[in-house]
Amino acid sequence: MDEDFAFSIQAGSSEPIYRQLVEHVRRRVASGQIKAGDEIPSVRELAQQLAVHPMTISKAYSLLEAEGLLERRRGLAMRVAPQHQRAQPAAARIELLRPALARAAAEARQLQLPRRSVMKLFADILDEDPSP
Amino acid sequence: MNPHLLATTSLTAELADVTLAYTGGAPVLNGLSWQLLPGQVVGLLGRNGAGKTTLLETLLGLREPQAGSVQLFGQPAARPDDAVRARIGYVPQQSDLFDSFTASQLLAYFRSFYPRWNENKAQGLLSRWDIDPHQRIAKLSGGQQQRLSIIRALAHEPDLLVLDEPVASLDPAGRRDFLGELINQVLSHGTTVVFSTHILSDLERVAFHMAFMSGGRIALQAPLDELLDEVRQFSGSAAEVQALLQRLGAHSLKRTPLPAGRERVLARLPAGTQLPPGTAAELVTLEDLFMALT
Repeated sequence: MDEDFAFSIQAGSSEPIYRQLVEHVRRRVASGQIKAGDEIPSVRELAQQLAVHPMTISKAYSLLEAEGLLERRRGLAMRVAPQHQRAQPAAARIELLRPALARAAAEARQLQLPRRSVMKLFADILDEDPSP
Repeated sequence: MNPHLLATTSLTAELADVTLAYTGGAPVLNGLSWQLLPGQVVGLLGRNGAGKTTLLETLLGLREPQAGSVQLFGQPAARPDDAVRARIGYVPQQSDLFDSFTASQLLAYFRSFYPRWNENKAQGLLSRWDIDPHQRIAKLSGGQQQRLSIIRALAHEPDLLVLDEPVASLDPAGRRDFLGELINQVLSHGTTVVFSTHILSDLERVAFHMAFMSGGRIALQAPLDELLDEVRQFSGSAAEVQALLQRLGAHSLKRTPLPAGRERVLARLPAGTQLPPGTAAELVTLEDLFMALT
């Protein structure tokens, strides 16, 4: 189960750790890698595994619950909510990329890079070794 | 009893208007006030020489300020009774272990002072952290001595753990293991932790709150999550930036004048502010905050 989640944290980022966790779960659910009924690690387990303060983990889980991605069950592990049976269509999944690409676009404009070289760089990165 | 009063009496530590100067010098702590609540993990950030070690020693009652008050678990920090002392774990910057003891003799010695000593934890950490219990401390490496000092501070399950640059001589794997142990302590015991280090990536993980020290005071203390969500960097002509910040209700944290009437301002927005599209505002990292606030 834990391998399915494979949480990783990037320190030194302008994105707070709780949001990194939220985005991670959103992407995993949208792609169907985790789906309805899958249990997620407890706050305690994940705090220990990542060496992250437990309040940071519970903040992420609460947001995901409020969004309807996760459901809380009394005395049991939280799990992915029943409506998330399968991967979302590509049209919906690609929207999850928008914030990251918008940030990249803003930086590209600051660097005054021509559109063509930015697109080529992105294509090259997409072709790189996909293993994490 | 008023629940608010109840809450204030259960502060782990409280410093009020503390001023401390060394003989003939300018004040290192200058009217500093600071509160630590039970279960908080606070990263203490400041430049070299900002007075972090002095602050931590004062918090623990090891230094007496010229003005102000310091309370630990509701008692004056300068005269802790045995019960208060047993609730504190301290890892000083310079390890202060007895060189002629072996690790095992040292831990046996400290065990006698602490009613809550957890021998299983001490033994488990000794073996995991690769410390020969029968080796004289003088012969242990710097990293091993530091780990031993951490074990000593963790083994009695303190309610307050004060860590002054505890990881300087630990390698990344050792630091990760130490951070995991710190999280265990928080999970199992609700320990209040104050952690000073320059390794920001460690603090980002374990510390929920950051305290920035500057000018002999805590300039700002807040959850890091909130700071990353709410602090932005604006730049432009000074007049425009000021007008924008006023419109947004933002609070300036640091203003840096630039040539030609321009300025760069780090400002904290009210929680939940949506910036108007096209606003030139940059996200910040903990390192940016460190540079601006310390």
